[in-house]
Formats: sequence, structure tokens, C-alpha cells
Amino acid sequence: MSELLRLEGLQVYFPVRGGAFDALARRPRGYVRAVDGIDLTIGKGEILGLVGESGSGKTTTGRVVVKLTKQTGGRVIFDGQDVSSLWGTKALRTYRRRVQLIFQDPYETLNPKHTIGEFVGEPLDVNGIATSRQDREERIHAALETAGLRPAADFAARYPHELSGGQRQRVVIAGALVMDPELVVADEPVSMLDVSIRTELLHLMLDLRNERGLAYLFITHDLAVAWVLADRIAVMYLGRILEIGPAEQVIRHPRNPYTQALVSVSPSPEPPAEGEELKRTILVGETPDAAHVPAGCRFHPRCPLAFDRCRVDEPPLVEVGEGHQAACWLVEQG
Amino acid sequence: MTTPDGVASAAALAVRDRRRWPLPKLADPTAPLLVVEDLAVRFRIPSGTVKAVDGVSFRMDDGEALGIVGESGCGKTTTALSLVHLLPANGTIKSGRVALFGIDLVPKTEQQMARYRWREISLVFQGAMNALNPVRRIRDLIAEPIEVRLGQSQDAARQRAGELLELVGIPAQRGTAYPHELSGGMRQRAMIAIALACDPAIVIGDEPTTALDVMVQAQILQLLERLRRDLGLSLILITHDLSVIAETCDRVMVMYAGRVAEEGPVRRVFMAPRHPYTQKLLSAFPNIRADRRTLEVIPGMPPDLRTPPPGCRFAPRCPAALPVCVEIAPSEVRFADGVRVACHLYPASDVAPVEPQP
Repeated sequence: MSELLRLEGLQVYFPVRGGAFDALARRPRGYVRAVDGIDLTIGKGEILGLVGESGSGKTTTGRVVVKLTKQTGGRVIFDGQDVSSLWGTKALRTYRRRVQLIFQDPYETLNPKHTIGEFVGEPLDVNGIATSRQDREERIHAALETAGLRPAADFAARYPHELSGGQRQRVVIAGALVMDPELVVADEPVSMLDVSIRTELLHLMLDLRNERGLAYLFITHDLAVAWVLADRIAVMYLGRILEIGPAEQVIRHPRNPYTQALVSVSPSPEPPAEGEELKRTILVGETPDAAHVPAGCRFHPRCPLAFDRCRVDEPPLVEVGEGHQAACWLVEQG
Repeated sequence: MTTPDGVASAAALAVRDRRRWPLPKLADPTAPLLVVEDLAVRFRIPSGTVKAVDGVSFRMDDGEALGIVGESGCGKTTTALSLVHLLPANGTIKSGRVALFGIDLVPKTEQQMARYRWREISLVFQGAMNALNPVRRIRDLIAEPIEVRLGQSQDAARQRAGELLELVGIPAQRGTAYPHELSGGMRQRAMIAIALACDPAIVIGDEPTTALDVMVQAQILQLLERLRRDLGLSLILITHDLSVIAETCDRVMVMYAGRVAEEGPVRRVFMAPRHPYTQKLLSAFPNIRADRRTLEVIPGMPPDLRTPPPGCRFAPRCPAALPVCVEIAPSEVRFADGVRVACHLYPASDVAPVEPQP
């Protein structure tokens, strides 16, 4: 699989400004280290699941990839080209055509006063893509049909309130597809939806990958959704990737204690047998504030297995299997 | 205390043993904790009347946890809200009976309901942790229902609030904090403490963990389990998340389009679902312990409840639908293992018919 996107040492720090004195001195009080040095690659037609709890930096990573947030360090390489400093240029427009974003909330993304056709057609107008009125219409209809909204002409004339939640999310997907992208950054695209609609959309996203070779950076807090969809899974915690590898490996043989805990608490619809206790590792406390990242391994204050070294040195990601890496001092190389 | 009916009285005694406050005067000590019979709720909207809940019956015993599961619009929240008369202004209970300790709550007036709401049935909503009054201390928010509803002094109420905080895993001295000073998980714990303030007979949790992170969700579910074990709490848990019910409840009631599709012990229903909707719902749920990419799709959409189909409401989407399904609504059949199902695939003649509810 050839490489489509590569993040190298990506870093996003947000300044925290204090009171008037700090403002006068023009110095930030500190930094929120939202993304703190991550490396990732996504191949053409690959689905990478980026999993983490709130505050892990997964959404910020996605925003950097679609260039809605500026990184403070590191590089973004897309299709062999460094796009890190691509701001306000014509090349950025081309990039944005090839990389599209799908948000979580289909209720907020759609303008209630615009028809579905207007919403899907807007990126065409903004980018001046359609050659004629007819071409524009054809592209809109093709996108709607690919997203499973048939008959397209009928849906194009409707307003968002006339659609169900699942149909709205399909419209949002159509709005991304109309640009014929190569990479879609999907930020929790199914977490607001009902079980049956969610499955339909996961199937749609898989079909699009299989038919068009579309790649996804699929951002979610739900390990089970990543499990059914992603080829590879990366687990983020407090701005760092603690484990990354093939979905099968990360879920069935997690090596980092944080991943192990996440997998153990990931709920399953299979009830425990009579008298059987669930084997869950429930971590104490919550993810710390990214403005005060703990020294050493950033997970050590909550880690049930932490020892002396963890409090001092931050562990690097090491190879633990074929394409499977974990960052933990307990993990032996090989 | 002795009563002729041994089983029911044991349950009733458990409530009495635990409670610091007397049961309502009209309570029948031999009656089951909660019996809902043939509940029907209607919403008036400009374009018609929505039959949101249509003939829902269930029973809950003391110390039991009942999960109500279904997709948006299936009537699970409406069912819960109608127990305590908290329906929106355009909603009315058309018929049915909601008997708590044998007292029918449906005909109660707003004033009479004040005795039952919060003192007997309390609620924890989804995102309720964001609805805490921001200018009041956590301790006072918990003490308020104790003062107002139970008429306790401020000192006694604060004392009890401290105990409740410890019970839900927040150090009592944190009670002086304001809601914004607590994390989301802590606020949800405080919300549970408020719901427990008056020693209610039943706590209803409406998607209590939905807005929380996975690990925090696990912490809250663990807390609910502990409270059930230590206090013998009776819990109604409403959620679209099958896995939450699988891990916390004794019984599950699967609702579809305002009706009960299947109800029974969690393990029986989830391991061997009988209703085609339950089967589909379970196979459409992403499961980390199952194989990848075997998710099934439920084709179509739930019916418009202004004009529900005459037969089984799931028939238009059902893979096993028979000709009779689109014409006649199936009646419930009860199996020997305690599961009841409303589906024509299980004719009443094959199994024991539904026993009339006591």
C-alpha cells in the first residue's frame, strides 16, 4: 500500500494566557500541549482509526490534517509533498479538494435554510469546479447517489428538516464526496446516531473505500466502532500515541497498559455469565489537563503497572510485532 | 412484619429496612414495587397525534435493575417520564396504570405527585451534570431536596449530603465546591447523590453515561453496581447502548415504535434473542469481542407514529415477516424462562400464554 499521508513529529501547542500582566508582557502563562509529537502514516485506501478519550488530542490532529489548525512543530506530508506550510496559497485549495472533513453532528453542519442540493453544491461553487450548470447538477446528483440518497433529484430539492438523522449524515458525506477526495477525515461521524443507522453508515464508508480507494482518518472515542471499521488503530493519550498497529493486534493483543484498560472496559452486548465477574481494569481519575502533562510517561499517574522509570523517562514507541508499536517501559522489543 | 404473601412481603420488607423515611400512607406492603399496565401516551402535534407509547406493561421488583433499550423515538424516555408525570405539555397519558407499592400514580394531581416525585422516584438525565445550578455549592444542591421534601433542618440535610457524597465516591469536604470546579464524571456522581438524597424507591437513569468518556462511563457503571449491591437500589436504566444494559441490569425490555418487542432476563434475551428486532439490533451493534465486519443492517426506518401500521410495527422491516404480521398486531407470549415476546413467530398455542399481571 503506497503512502498517502504522513505526520512527522506533529506538535500543536496552544498558549494559555493569564491575566493583564501576562498580556502586557506579551507572554503566555503556559502551553496546552494538545498534540505532543506524533508520527503516523495512512496508506492509499487505508482506514486508520484514531482512538482516544476527550482531551487526547485526536480532534486537533484531524484539524491539522485538514488545515483548520496550524501546527506548532513537525511536518504534514501528503502524497509525497510537504504541505506543512501551505497557508493561504492556491496549492492549499487543491489540497483541500483532495482532503475532506466530516463532522460529528449532522444537525449543526447543515444550514436549515439551504436545500440539500445547495449544501452539496457549495464546495463546487467555492472552488469553481463545475464547468456548466448541467455539470454542476450531475456532480451533485452523483455524490448524493453514491452516499445512498436515491432518487438524488428528489433529495437535492429537500431541506434538512425533512430528513432523518441518518439521511443528514449521508448528506454530509455527499458534501465531502462531491469533491472526489482521496482522504476523508471523519471526526466521530457516527457517535450521535442510532445503532441501525450507524451500521448503515459504517457500511457506506467501507463500500466507498472498497470502490473508490478512499482513505480515512477515522477519529472516535469508541474502540468498538474503530474495531469494526479500521485497518489499523492508533491509541492516543494526552497528545501522544501510546500504541499503534493492525486493528486485530491492538484489540486482541494490546501491549500498552492504557490500551489494555480501554479494551477491558469497552462494553460488549454479551452479558457476563451467572456469577462471573467482569474482568475490567477501571482506571482511577480522569485524563489530566494537557496544560500540566505529567513528567516521564504521561500515563504513569493512572497506570496500574507504573514503576520508578515511568516517573522519570518517557518511553518511545517500539516495535512489538509486525507493524505494531507500543510505548511502554514494560514492553520488550521484538 | 408479617403478611400472608411470603414472596412479595420479603421484597417490601427490604424496602422498609433500607429506608429512613416511611412509605406513602396508601402503600400496600404486599404489592410489588412497580407495576405498569397497558400504558398509552399520546403527543398532540400540529400535524396529528403521535402514539408514542402504546400498550406498554412491565413489572419491577425491589432491588431489581431493569434496562429499557431501543432506538430514538421508540418511547423509552416517554415511558419513564410518564411514570412521574414529567411529560412535555403536549403529552398526555391516555390510558393505563402505573402502580407504585400498589398506588396508581396516573390519576394523581400535580400537587399529589409532589409526594412521589424525587421522594419515591428520582431521575438522572443524560447531561444532567451540565444542568446543575452553577451558583450553588454541590453540598447545598444535594441538601435541598432533603430540606424541601423531607422537612429536615439545614444542619441535618448538610450532614446527610456529606454522607451521600462519600457514598458516590466524592470526599465530603469537596461538597463546598461549585459544579464548574468538578470534572464531568464527578458532576455525574454528584447528580447521582442528588437522586439518592431522599432514599427513593426507584432511580431512573436516562442515558446516564452517554455523554461520558469510556473510562468515566466504566467508573459510573461500577458506582451504580456498587449502590445496587450496598443499598439494594431499584434501577430503571434507559439507554440505546445495549452493552451498558448487558453489564448492569437484571432484566431488559426492548422497545420498538412505542411497544414492547421482548422483555426478560438480560442473559436470556441477549444470548438467545427471540424477536427478530432484538436479533437485528444485537447483530447491528459493534462488539469488540466478536468478529470484525459482520455488522448487520436493519433496512428501512421506524414507522411514523402518527399513523402506525395496523399489524406488527416492525413487520415492514422484518426479514421473517408472515402475511399475518402486516394485518394483526401480535399479542405477547410468555416463555417458561421468563421472557415475553410480541411476535407472530411464536404463536400463543405453542407456549404458555401471558399470565395476567397481578
